Amino acid sequence: MTSQNMKLLYAGIAIALLISVLAPFLASPDPDGLESAAESVIDEERFAELEEAEPAIESPMPDYSIEGQGKLGEIVAISAGTIAILLISFGLGKVLKANKAN
Amino acid sequence: MHIPDSFMPLSQALVYWAIALPFIFMSFRWARRDMDDMKIPILAALSAGIFAIQALNIPIGMGTSGHMVGAALVAIIFGSPFAGVLVLTLVLLVQGIVFADGGITVMGANILNMGVISGFIGYYSFVALRSRKIDIKIAAFFGAWLGLFVSAIATAVEMSIAGTFPLVPGLVAMGTFHFVIGIIGEGLITAIAIAAIAKARPDLVDSKITEGSKEATL
Repeated sequence: MTSQNMKLLYAGIAIALLISVLAPFLASPDPDGLESAAESVIDEERFAELEEAEPAIESPMPDYSIEGQGKLGEIVAISAGTIAILLISFGLGKVLKANKAN
Repeated sequence: MHIPDSFMPLSQALVYWAIALPFIFMSFRWARRDMDDMKIPILAALSAGIFAIQALNIPIGMGTSGHMVGAALVAIIFGSPFAGVLVLTLVLLVQGIVFADGGITVMGANILNMGVISGFIGYYSFVALRSRKIDIKIAAFFGAWLGLFVSAIATAVEMSIAGTFPLVPGLVAMGTFHFVIGIIGEGLITAIAIAAIAKARPDLVDSKITEGSKEATL
């Protein structure tokens, strides 16, 4: 059973990484639902103000990209995020499970 | 649907953190109770897959795009809405800190909308439909669609309280866009994923739900 689940893990990783590599080419450049809604219901001046506001903290790879690295940078950024989430969730699962034994 | 920092005053952002935190805490408690060596790899694979698929915005027309949220999918597979809350919390944390997708101050609101609301609504609609012997694909599709739609409506209300959106136009715009995003981005993908997993590994989709019976498993 456990090895079957490991197989599923590898299949999951393969699919996630495949999506990560394809996403920069396939993802729509159109704004998302919330941004589109903001654009249509807020007046222009206020919208520009909100859009230009800096986030509370500075992110290393804003908008899933690496500055000046184009599509390759996007592939690297999204893949790095996918691997990070994989490790974090795996690690957290292990830690929480380990706590159970104590 | 990720709210950026500038869209909400800090005081209100903190209120949503206060609402989201007990759910995050309970999702950790769920993991402590439910996680074992068999399920950890599945949790990790699902989390990674959901992060990746959230980077893939699908065009929905009207100059708008949308992506899957995935809380309902995770909740259905693990048989608990807290699984969805846990995965979305991790995904939103990394998205906010590393990729500036969704603000840090408003992360509580984003976890509430995408993790809690879409996970709980999605999961319990799925369960309700399954208990009426509705086909698993249809139940997954409708649950996931409704979860996304309701979380978009909640976001519109929050944006109105924040003074960022006017209430009625905000509801109409968010509702219209996410009605469609929910069909393609959430409902369809969830139904396909659940059908594929239920076929390949029926043991993974909690059988008390898939069979619509009262027997608990695992």
